[in-house]
Amino acid sequence: MEMFKNASATPLSRRAVLGAGLFGAAMLASPSIRRASAEENALYVNTWGGDWEASVKKFLFEPFTADTGIEIRTVSPISFAKLAAQKTTGVYEFDVTTLGVADVARANGAGLLETLEGHVDTSKLWEGAIYENGLATHGFATQMAYNAAKFPEGLKNWSDFFNVEKFPGNRSLQRHAARVLAIALLADGVPADQLFPYDLDRAFASLDRIKDHVRVWWTAGPQARQILTDGEVDMAGLWDSDAFGAKEASKEPIEIVWDQAVVDKACWIVAKDSPRAENGFKLISHIGQNAEGLAKFCIADQNGPMNPKSFDFIPAEVAARMPTHPEHLARAVMLDGAKLLPQLDELSTRFESWVGI
Amino acid sequence: MKLRTSPVFVEGPMPLIAPAVMFLSLFFLVPLGYVVWMSLSQPVIGLQNFGRLLNSSLFASVLYSTFKTALLVTLLSLLFAYPLAYAAANGSKRFATFLLTVVALSFWTSYLVRTYAWMVILGNQGPVTALLSWLGWDPAPKILFTTFSATLAMTHALIPFMTMSLFAVMKRIDPLYVRAAENLGAHPLRAFVSVYLPLSAPGIVNGCTLVFITCLGFYVMPVLLGSPRDQMIAGIIGDQIEQTLDFGLGSAISIVLLALTLAVYAVYNRFFGLDRLWAGGDR
Repeated sequence: MEMFKNASATPLSRRAVLGAGLFGAAMLASPSIRRASAEENALYVNTWGGDWEASVKKFLFEPFTADTGIEIRTVSPISFAKLAAQKTTGVYEFDVTTLGVADVARANGAGLLETLEGHVDTSKLWEGAIYENGLATHGFATQMAYNAAKFPEGLKNWSDFFNVEKFPGNRSLQRHAARVLAIALLADGVPADQLFPYDLDRAFASLDRIKDHVRVWWTAGPQARQILTDGEVDMAGLWDSDAFGAKEASKEPIEIVWDQAVVDKACWIVAKDSPRAENGFKLISHIGQNAEGLAKFCIADQNGPMNPKSFDFIPAEVAARMPTHPEHLARAVMLDGAKLLPQLDELSTRFESWVGI
Repeated sequence: MKLRTSPVFVEGPMPLIAPAVMFLSLFFLVPLGYVVWMSLSQPVIGLQNFGRLLNSSLFASVLYSTFKTALLVTLLSLLFAYPLAYAAANGSKRFATFLLTVVALSFWTSYLVRTYAWMVILGNQGPVTALLSWLGWDPAPKILFTTFSATLAMTHALIPFMTMSLFAVMKRIDPLYVRAAENLGAHPLRAFVSVYLPLSAPGIVNGCTLVFITCLGFYVMPVLLGSPRDQMIAGIIGDQIEQTLDFGLGSAISIVLLALTLAVYAVYNRFFGLDRLWAGGDR
């Protein structure tokens, strides 16, 4: 009886239990705590995972590690929310990530990004390489693709996509306010050079015309590719790599439209106050000067390089289907996150409400 | 001796629950407190986030449809699970084991896997559409990305909860009661309605409460399988965090959802007692 009492109820053993609990909690919390400290010569990069990560590692990260000795570890998937949370909590899961133009402008406006000026030698980069404290290395288009068996007369531009009387059928667009509103305005006849800032009332009035015909607001690229391939929808606004993928995979004849493709750029950024920011700047400088690696990455990931020198390393027939190929870029519309910045919060809030009701 | 040992039993449970209390405090109460704080302080201190919710037609409509969906899913689960649990509780032991294993297998499969399975089954290239076309339905209706597909998948996901709650209670109903009613001349249906059904009522209430509350927080299934208008409240919280980075508003919605869930619990507790929810109706 005495033993039982001593073993379970003395203050000492209660402390031991408390101690064990704390130790357990510390064990559970330790991965992130360890990551937060500025440790050995490493850099944590946020990636999309999957094939994207495999190509970015092979063509951009491995040459960097070979040149600098800095080891790169990856964290996925890419999360803008995490980038914002990191600065608040001070726990850094990654130091470097890529963002589209709208997110990079928003993050830069919110002070979430380290300044690249002075840390990255811009004289060695192409013109316009630095955008809102990000290095814009590659572009991807949101373009229209449709099932030509359903519409033999063919769709030419976003106005056709929004014309539900002439082209009835199910549609899909990305659940992404900045890109979709640009498309809605182009469909309503706004010239590309007068797109920014958005006329929101006009954009939503234009969107109202197709609301009942959009079956899916897709949130991941492969999802858009799949529903177009499977015939769940007859036309979609989707990323160029997925439009190409759907065309290859589908039994139906899928046609791709390059006119009015909305081009977004992926920008490499360093998270503000990251403990390994110096290594981050080194990676960004290295990627900026690695034209051949970028070319190979763009071929593998099916996007287009922003570095003009990269086209020297790309076969002509592959370059011909890239969204940043000069011929396509001339017909495309560049998304301008910086000009949208004052509107970004309003347009995403309004868009999310519009989709949900 | 007696006097000295009694504190053991008073203090006894404390060290036992200490790890759980520590864990919950650190990983549940502290973060929850932080969520409450964010709802009141982001971007500025005040009640403005809750004010925005009151004035938001999106929030009102999504909240309404969340409760409507949860209610519908609860009723459908009950409809499917009741005969299942009845058969398991009143059948042979082998039959019961078989039925419950099937239910448990589906319960152990991850939500995401089941969601993708439904996408394949209900999709344009899937067996259901193929069957409908073969039966002469031309063009076959689009089933995926509708309220129907989302409700079906959520019901399927929650039937195990309902079945287990019902089975636990039904297993304890003495078959002699029903037999006695029949002996006294009651029609089998009458015996079921007057004797068996009331005896199984605790299971119905437990199951419905569990399913309803679980369904309120569903996120993945309505987003991936439903139509754009089938959003549930958890999806809206996700949008605030991921799309608009509005942690304050997202936190405020979470608090409202938590409060409403607690209200359902409170009603349950008032009428039935919370300890019964997990004890399968045994008191």
